[in-house]
Amino acid sequence: MIKTVKHALHYLFIPSEKNNYRAKLIQHDLLSIYLCIILLFTVAIRQGNHLGRAGQILGVATDITTDKLLLYTNEERTKSNLAPLSLNEKLSIAAEKKAENMFTENYWAHFAPDGKTPWDFINQANYHYEFAGENLAKNFLFSKNVVDAWMNSPTHRENLLRPEFSEVGYAVRTGVLNGEETTLVVQMFGKPAVGEAIAQQPMQPQVAQQPVQAQEAGKVLSEVKRYPNTPVIPAFSIVYMFLGVLVMVFAIDFYVATRLKVIRLHGNSLAHMMFLLLIGVGVVFFLTKGAIL
Amino acid sequence: MNHFFTQIRKEVKRTPLDYLLLLTSGVFFLVFLQIFKGERRESMLVLAVFACFYIAWGIIHHVHDRTLHVKNMVEYIVIAASVLLLLLMMFI
Repeated sequence: MIKTVKHALHYLFIPSEKNNYRAKLIQHDLLSIYLCIILLFTVAIRQGNHLGRAGQILGVATDITTDKLLLYTNEERTKSNLAPLSLNEKLSIAAEKKAENMFTENYWAHFAPDGKTPWDFINQANYHYEFAGENLAKNFLFSKNVVDAWMNSPTHRENLLRPEFSEVGYAVRTGVLNGEETTLVVQMFGKPAVGEAIAQQPMQPQVAQQPVQAQEAGKVLSEVKRYPNTPVIPAFSIVYMFLGVLVMVFAIDFYVATRLKVIRLHGNSLAHMMFLLLIGVGVVFFLTKGAIL
Repeated sequence: MNHFFTQIRKEVKRTPLDYLLLLTSGVFFLVFLQIFKGERRESMLVLAVFACFYIAWGIIHHVHDRTLHVKNMVEYIVIAASVLLLLLMMFI
């Protein structure tokens, strides 16, 4: 039994006379089978997307949650000797409305194309404030990366670490923006007004200052879809496992083939390794990078 | 392990320009991913361009090496397409 397994592993991973001096796992037929399997999965996922079940199939949407965002935000504030923020339901409603508005009006900016400001949403949520602010993020996959990106931007950092703010609200929504599935994070800060008089005419709210991007005319309005926030780890594990196994087999193949000094008519294993490693680094970019505003 | 790195050095020395080109394109690929961070469609486009470049690189490399064969070409195409589809499946 052990001998059979050993032979099979040798055949799959090590170039030898039996597999025509090319590890079986990276021979054309098996590489083509991988491609077919991936193609079938891609079609299945696309079908799942149409049925609104993409997140359930692979859990690729996002693992960003309000709890984690609040936790990491307060961690940063505590590091700067500031009081932690408390979650405010009205600010969360305002953030939800803002996210929904960005999807329905198809824009990615602090100010809506119709002139609606962040504090309009806060006022609509019946939150009377002395100070207010807004941070936005899109297409991040992990809560920590969102907060890190905000902390790395001076204007967003200023909002996060503003001593005047005492409350915060979040919205994490996935929908279609500019024709592509997008995960938006809206963070709204506030300091409640002490009296009704102050609440009527608030001070200028703080938004992370970025130019407003005008939307192209004639674009179809986006639809708002809700996908479950499922863990993303399994999906990326598949990518990394696939890339990792291929890199390992190409490395073994390169090592053994150069040792045996065999001349073969195959692709360049070293180049394949380099390509796959670069793709691996690229996947890290996908995982950790998003846009903030 | 020593043998492995010695062979890599030997291989790179044999066609340094080819590997320099591949590495440079890889750096550009990562730079563009950084530029288009948060823009999945553009990121995928960058990935697709890099994958196509890799196929072209493979063909040119084997032409220089005088080892170009349909099997080689298929290998580059299949690897590039697999990676591209895999990432499309995950991120779009």
